[in-house]
Amino acid sequence: MDPSVDFVPILGLDMSFKILLSLGDPCDIARASCVSRSWHGFVVSNGLSKQLCLGMFPQLSGVDHVTESCSFKTEAETGSSNTKEWDVLEREHRVYGFLSHCCRSIVDRECISDAISASSTDNFPEEGINNTLEMRDRVGRIASYWSSEGQKKPAVPETLIYKLVGDLCVITEIDIQPFQAYFQTGLPIYSAKSVRFRMGYPKASVDLDSVDQSCHDSTNDKFVWTYTSPEFPMAQENCLQKFKFPKPVLCIGGFLLVELLGRVQRQEMDGLFYICVSHVRVLGRPLSPTFGVDIIEPSGKFVLKALSYTKESLPESSPRRISSLELQRRVRNLEHILNMLRGNVRDVEDIWDEGQDDSDEEFA
Amino acid sequence: MSSSSSSSSPSCPKKMITLKSSDGETFEIEEIAALQSKTLESMIDENCASTPVPLPNITGKILAKVVEYCTKHAEVGADAESLRAWDAEFVSVDHPTLFDYILAANFLEIPTLLNLACQSVADMVKGKTPDEIHKIFNIKSTFTPEEEEELRRENQWAFD
Repeated sequence: MDPSVDFVPILGLDMSFKILLSLGDPCDIARASCVSRSWHGFVVSNGLSKQLCLGMFPQLSGVDHVTESCSFKTEAETGSSNTKEWDVLEREHRVYGFLSHCCRSIVDRECISDAISASSTDNFPEEGINNTLEMRDRVGRIASYWSSEGQKKPAVPETLIYKLVGDLCVITEIDIQPFQAYFQTGLPIYSAKSVRFRMGYPKASVDLDSVDQSCHDSTNDKFVWTYTSPEFPMAQENCLQKFKFPKPVLCIGGFLLVELLGRVQRQEMDGLFYICVSHVRVLGRPLSPTFGVDIIEPSGKFVLKALSYTKESLPESSPRRISSLELQRRVRNLEHILNMLRGNVRDVEDIWDEGQDDSDEEFA
Repeated sequence: MSSSSSSSSPSCPKKMITLKSSDGETFEIEEIAALQSKTLESMIDENCASTPVPLPNITGKILAKVVEYCTKHAEVGADAESLRAWDAEFVSVDHPTLFDYILAANFLEIPTLLNLACQSVADMVKGKTPDEIHKIFNIKSTFTPEEEEELRRENQWAFD
């Protein structure tokens, strides 16, 4: 029998670790743990799956511990010879391995579940943040966009808060289309100078149903941001601009903050600077319902939960929850239309967007 | 048998240092090539490299190849494509030799050679099933059939 050329004992801990970590694929590491008793011991005790996963997603450094809802071993099977530490290492090996595998293999899809609130809105709810969920910049004859309030100084920023599908998502890209006011002379495009993104979760003290404009004044008080992106320049162009992250990012907590930094377009009518957004899209891979997180307040650490070891995906077109704000808007529109039909044309202007010049002609 | 460096012009003699393997062989290497080894670099800085440097963990056979590698990588004007091909050829050796390269590159702290050789080993493991890995490295499984069955179940997603 030829002598074994098993490199793990020959090369020692550091070199073997370097080699196995450089495999880069969680499947390779999982298969390596099945080669022999010594390879299994090496991979599990040195936390290779965890190291690989942390390398892919540094945002996981906040994990306090991991849990599995479905264990492969029954209580009786975990022998008394296994120490608690070993059980933890084995569990981490399974959970992190499957997590990195899921992160790499799920196909990208839209990840916004709901629009929560904006730092300011010019005409609420007609120009509210909900319009950014609609891809088109007009629906029928009604323009669909969010508009900030006007500011004298172009440096004043704005922020938008969105809820994502599930509290654990891998995000690869965020797309934003600024709004071009097609009803204003000169066709101005109310883009921002640059954008930045933050991801995280609301502090326990925050009541989500009452997240409103005041939350945006000091989002750091209300939210814990586990990730802040670099700043991306935005073009003053009426197109869906793609902001791709240098590496996919794990959003822990399920909330996204879009920071619109700097204004570039003044409105002729009042001389103030505005930012208007037609559409926001978030591309990524939701990890629910396979994985979940529990935030441990106040430490900010969290528990990573593996809820299943088969990749269950959310239905592709999960119905968007219509928020109460959206319902209010639609009811108000209906009320206006009824008023008009009854001959009360007083509020015609309100349905149409600010600055629309030809609204009177429409009703002639 | 000592290897000689490439020819040097009389007006500008290249500075050489001498390395001594575990089995007593001596090898000359240009100082500029030796600088790729962080270990040798610090010895040169501290002026400890004027007498033959003993390397008790590296045999003559391996040291000769390491000198060859460092000399090749110290050459100026080599194009990236042909250097890559040369590197691929360099690591097309049997496993024990490859592992010796890793140990030598680790000891002498030559990051380029270390990464090259480690990547070569990783490539042998990449994409392989446990059975294939057994054959490549002549490793025995050491699991009972029940244990193997359980491990496969736990890691099913990696085998799909």
